[in-house]
Amino acid sequence: MKKTLIAVTLAFCGAAMAQTAPTDSLYKTFGEKPGLVKLMDDFMVRLLADPRTGPHFKPANQQRVKEQLVDQFCQVMGGPCVYKGADMKSAHANLDIKKSDFNALVEVLQLSMDAQGIPFRAQNQLLAQLAPMHRETITEK
Amino acid sequence: MKHATSALALALAGLTCGLAQADTGKLRLTGGVSSIDGAAGGGLTPWAVIGTNATEGEIGASAHISRASTQDYGLTTYGAALGFKDRIELSVARQDFNASPAIALNGIAPFGVTPGQHIKMDIVGVKVRVAGDAVLDSDTLMPQIAVGLEYKHTRPGSLGSVFNFLGTKTSGVDVYVSATKLFLAQGILVNGTLRATKANQNGLLGFGSNAPGRDSYSLQPEFSVAYLLSKNVAVGAEYRFKPNNLESLGRAAGLGDALREDNWKDIFIAWAPSKNLSLTLAYVDLGRVVPGITGNRKQKGAYLSAQVAF
Repeated sequence: MKKTLIAVTLAFCGAAMAQTAPTDSLYKTFGEKPGLVKLMDDFMVRLLADPRTGPHFKPANQQRVKEQLVDQFCQVMGGPCVYKGADMKSAHANLDIKKSDFNALVEVLQLSMDAQGIPFRAQNQLLAQLAPMHRETITEK
Repeated sequence: MKHATSALALALAGLTCGLAQADTGKLRLTGGVSSIDGAAGGGLTPWAVIGTNATEGEIGASAHISRASTQDYGLTTYGAALGFKDRIELSVARQDFNASPAIALNGIAPFGVTPGQHIKMDIVGVKVRVAGDAVLDSDTLMPQIAVGLEYKHTRPGSLGSVFNFLGTKTSGVDVYVSATKLFLAQGILVNGTLRATKANQNGLLGFGSNAPGRDSYSLQPEFSVAYLLSKNVAVGAEYRFKPNNLESLGRAAGLGDALREDNWKDIFIAWAPSKNLSLTLAYVDLGRVVPGITGNRKQKGAYLSAQVAF
């Protein structure tokens, strides 16, 4: 059985394409810094309005969260920014975040990206960079 | 078994009503659709995903109905599944196979097959996710891995005499391991499943056979690949290898390749108009299914499936 697992896993390695390294083309697709500021303005409005995510963001300093998200997304996309906020684990350590909360945030972000006219392919390239953060941000397993 | 299936179906129905209002938090289409055997996956093969919309800490339910229609046969399947905490999946399904061409078997021997005979099969499945997250672990090649078991019981009706002649049993257990990976940046999902099975035509023609060396388990690989066109539309293809336990028996009886069994394949498009509904349309090629009574035709046709999930 173990051999089988290894064989199946290897088959995936063969099928896998190289994960896209962050280049600044994604940053340009998102409209660089002004595009990200606009995206976060829209994103925060939707996060507050959604009953699943609203309670998590109402008590927060929303302006500060938006600025940090701009920096973080910009950096993740290979743009000329440096995220200076706390690391993901300590930033979320005192919050009750379940996997369903994480997924709800992804859905709201998809709606915001749709509203900004970001192509589906570029959305997924960003999400592929952000998704592994589930390990640091989800506190309630 | 029949009672257990009914009880589980009832429990599922009750739970579904209760859950209809609950907020379950999987991303759209990431629970797969319902396979013909009831387990979450593609149409013909299970994936490592745990079905329903329930993610960690949640309980979800789903129900499906599907229909495949080929030149000579028809297959209707319906079933339901429960998902526990994105870890365990329980499923039940019932298949109704229109085997009308089997009347021709009476010309070979006095089997007493009645006109318009259907073969029915009940399937109870359990699947457990053992490692990985197919969607969110996008920085590694590690797939989501699950192991599963399907207990199948077939009721051949007047074809029971044919089952006896072939030496096939009316119940069997399939065991499988699946690995599923979504390459998120590319929008490509890949699944590989390895199944240990004795089933003939997925169990519709029973399990094992009288043919020497053809009554034991064999390992059969199954593959699916899907491409996400948007958040709610995926297109893809599947290929499922199958055992061929009956052909040599037919050959020994002077019937040539009358009992030949081929691999299954399909191309599909799945659409999830909402988080709770998905529709799958496919073109299936089931190869030859008892070609001795169907003019040696390959069985190709349309497959349509609808699933509600909470």
